[in-house]
Amino acid sequence: MARSFTGKVAIIQFPGVNCEYETADAVRSVGLEADLLRWNEDPVLLEDAIGMIIPGGFSYQDRIRAGVVSAKDHIMDKLSELAGAGRPILGICNGAQVLVESGFIPGIHWERVDLALAPNVMEDRDGYYCSWTYLLRGGTDCVWTMAVGAEEVVPVPIAHAEGRFTTDDGEVLGEMKKNGQIILQYCTQAGQIDPAFPINPNGSIENMAGVCNREGNVLAMMPHPERATWLRQVPEDLGGGWGTKRKKAGGDSGKMETAGPGRIFFESLKRWKEGDA
Amino acid sequence: MLKGTIQITESDDSRVVELLKENGLNLTVSEARRVTELLGRDPTIVELTIFNTMWSEHCSYKSSRKLLGELLPTKAPNVVMGPGEDAGVFRFAETDDGDWHCLVIAHESHNHPSQVLPVEGAATGIGGIVRDVYCMGADVIGVLDPLRFGDPQGPNARHVISIARGVVDGIAQYGNPLGVPNLGGDIAFDAGFDENCLVNVVALGTVMESRVLRSRVPAEAAKEPYKIILIGKPTDDSGFGGAAFASEDLVEGEEANRGAVQVPDPFLKRVLAVANRKVLDLADQRGIKVGFKDLGAGGIACVTSELAHAGGFGVKIDLDAVNVAAGAHYPPPVVSCSETQERYALAVPVDFVDDVLKIYNEDFELPHLYHGAGAYVIADVTRDEIYTIISGGEKVCETPVETITTGILYDRPKSPRKVLFEEPEWQEGRSLRDDFLAIFGSPNIASKNYVFKHYDSEVQGRAVIRPGEADAGVIAPVAGNPVGIAVAVDGNPWYGIIDPYQGGALAVCESARNVAAVGGVPSAITDCLNYGNPEIEEVFWEFYEGIRGVGEACSGIGLLSHEGSHPLPVVSGNVSFYNQGKSGKAIPPSPIICTVGVVEDYSKSRSMTFKEEGNEIFLIGEPLDELGGSEYYRTIYGTLGGNVPEADFVRERGQIRTVLDLHSHGWIRSCHDTGQGGMLTALAEMSLGGNGTGRLGLAVDLDEFDGTGLPPEKVLFSETGCFIVELSPGIERELLAICARNRVKLHKLGTLKASPKLEVVSKGKAIASWDLGELEDIYMTGCRSIFGIEKGE
Repeated sequence: MARSFTGKVAIIQFPGVNCEYETADAVRSVGLEADLLRWNEDPVLLEDAIGMIIPGGFSYQDRIRAGVVSAKDHIMDKLSELAGAGRPILGICNGAQVLVESGFIPGIHWERVDLALAPNVMEDRDGYYCSWTYLLRGGTDCVWTMAVGAEEVVPVPIAHAEGRFTTDDGEVLGEMKKNGQIILQYCTQAGQIDPAFPINPNGSIENMAGVCNREGNVLAMMPHPERATWLRQVPEDLGGGWGTKRKKAGGDSGKMETAGPGRIFFESLKRWKEGDA
Repeated sequence: MLKGTIQITESDDSRVVELLKENGLNLTVSEARRVTELLGRDPTIVELTIFNTMWSEHCSYKSSRKLLGELLPTKAPNVVMGPGEDAGVFRFAETDDGDWHCLVIAHESHNHPSQVLPVEGAATGIGGIVRDVYCMGADVIGVLDPLRFGDPQGPNARHVISIARGVVDGIAQYGNPLGVPNLGGDIAFDAGFDENCLVNVVALGTVMESRVLRSRVPAEAAKEPYKIILIGKPTDDSGFGGAAFASEDLVEGEEANRGAVQVPDPFLKRVLAVANRKVLDLADQRGIKVGFKDLGAGGIACVTSELAHAGGFGVKIDLDAVNVAAGAHYPPPVVSCSETQERYALAVPVDFVDDVLKIYNEDFELPHLYHGAGAYVIADVTRDEIYTIISGGEKVCETPVETITTGILYDRPKSPRKVLFEEPEWQEGRSLRDDFLAIFGSPNIASKNYVFKHYDSEVQGRAVIRPGEADAGVIAPVAGNPVGIAVAVDGNPWYGIIDPYQGGALAVCESARNVAAVGGVPSAITDCLNYGNPEIEEVFWEFYEGIRGVGEACSGIGLLSHEGSHPLPVVSGNVSFYNQGKSGKAIPPSPIICTVGVVEDYSKSRSMTFKEEGNEIFLIGEPLDELGGSEYYRTIYGTLGGNVPEADFVRERGQIRTVLDLHSHGWIRSCHDTGQGGMLTALAEMSLGGNGTGRLGLAVDLDEFDGTGLPPEKVLFSETGCFIVELSPGIERELLAICARNRVKLHKLGTLKASPKLEVVSKGKAIASWDLGELEDIYMTGCRSIFGIEKGE
């Protein structure tokens, strides 16, 4: 039977990504279908997909710079075309690095690299950092955050060495702000935007955790929502409302299998799709 | 005469020594003559190189095999596969259709490579151990790393710290890209590891019992022709002689051995893992039987001979068909025996070959992703049980395959070490407050949270309890099923120095206790036995005592899922000898144990952090006057002392049962065992929690312990294994009944308070108190100076 992505979310499997399976599971948790598309398969298959996710990992071994080799892969031509047509695309962690390196994000000048995901800058440590963070929605018009409440604090873990959003182009930054593209910011568990480590875990300017394009259909985010899609994935000792909810679910495996905070991003896609239909 | 024959028979001993040396072989003269006897003729250089690897201590277990067989229990009703294959396999959850979810586990050391090249050594340690699990047909779901480093504050501090940082980097650089979560590990520092660090690695995987793969050519090869396909990285000369390197003392000029350290590539490994899965699923769908094994020590020679021999077949290898690194020409011994990483061998029927090659070479484009990588047919399986290697059209090895895999065994003499360990002279009037601050911030006790955050513990999305959050890591391995897997590693070097038997026994007890603390029923263990040179009688005695302790603890604790009527089985392990530095001093005897516990319902597994004001804190068990090897004696008195804790298996079993009973009722709010640093350390850790942010206080009532007749310090710092549990008020009666049934002692320590303070109270008066804020500071930063970057660095 011919492969088809009709009605499905396509998870792009570049060589070296390592979150493709759990990302597909997270998509399925909201009742959408998901399937993997290997980097060297026919990109035309993507034309029928609801949306596309570039999952986390170390595509092409982070050769040269994280995300840069994948950004030059021919499959990105098809993604560019579909992005232009308003199709939702989400890049998580390494996927975010790919979207930045391919110039989809911020995309003010389409396919021009105006932003970087630079090595983390942290207090008294360097390199890879794996920890839970709290996110606050910044702008309004993004497919992937449409289900997130205005004041809602969403805990999601990060795990990366190069996740510091930065640019030295004041004009670009100004445009991004004006357009509401700084869609996700690191915050305290009470929802305060504070640039101090570890609240801002990597030194991103403006506490940027996720940046979308002007049109809001493409999102590059460093935190991993697929690792926070079920309540059981939330650490029991996590501060804030979700940690309390997790503690209260202790001893109840049924509750553990209910939604975690990160599912909201996949719920957003579903809501968009239903609105679209 | 075969090509490359070496004249052993006609040469006298001194000439044989020269010949062996010229060819870079570690075989002894008598071993070389034994090879000649086995073959019935002089060996070729390829054959000698193969025996050099196969008879290394690392591969042959020639010093240890006999004792391991005699002293360690390996059979139990839950065991699918015990030691002997690449990894152990046991059942943990049954499916509706009668199949079983199985846990696959392997445990190894990568000590010498890590001492010489810490980053690469530790990385290839992870790389090697995950291959052992993958090749059972499993998906790898986690790794753990027990580490032992030298004294970070001693005379070799600079070197020790650079090794420690390198090892942590190496683990992160491999595990993170591979996409395998870190589930825990432990770190101990002692000057005894200054010249020889220990980097042990554990990998866990899951597979359905019906799909466990064997490392052998399947019986079907008697009916249809089978080929052996070599998959992965092109063969080069990296890691040539690695197994032999692991089987000798580290000597001056460590650099000389750097070529024996392999080169890691987690990127390629990840792609291989995904492609392997496709191939194995396709074989399963079509009902095709395959044999699968990874290439480790001894490279192509080892993997092909073992695949063939285990299946009762022969094999004919064409060395010219092996994909080697671009532009290189290696002599036949190198191609046969190099330990190039990221390779597998797959035995498949001839008519499946093209499908397999397509998946690796076209679908996953191995040759494009890595220059020279790919899948290539390198051998025919033969029915004659002859092992043949052909190079350049000529035979360079031809012998019954059985000859190659014939082991070698030594019966090593042992003699007890005679060192007297004495208790220190007791000092009255010391400040409990200051002493505890010194202990709580010491490198061995202080939080390893800083290190854990270098590792990805979230990938795959199965984490329930992360490293440092409780005594054991917990994951939920089966989607939609409440079953959990708890896993912990342990091994206290100081107990082993005083008494190597207790070192072994207590490592089992402590790791079993750790998994029980999160509700895991101890179900299997692995052992990595790290010792010095086995040719030294005292060292071999330490080894003997250690495994005697491990074996007796396994029988003594038993398999509690079967009412303890079977021993807790040892399903996999590794022996690492020759751990000593250039000074010739052996490392502290270090049997390191990993215990896997099966958790009936992971939602009952709780973090060790105190949960709620008003909850009651109990000690299950009782501290004894056995502080030998304790953190208290070492940090405060600067001595090991003499009264090492004595393993009491009846007590351990009773305490573990008590905690598991409490878990099954869902009553436990938090739980932590009292190990290193004793009860006070454990209570402080529970107050702060794994990330240091907990703020519930406690006043510990010492009057409870009047009956022991011990001074407060001994009560608080004794390392007798006990559990501390937090329970909601109102279940004391049930608790008493459970403790009575299991014949264990119980002490009430106090009630949780909102005030962020830890106090010790005697006769109604506080004799010491600490603010949790100050404890957080010293605990969270105690290891930062070792692993952290300096500010502004």
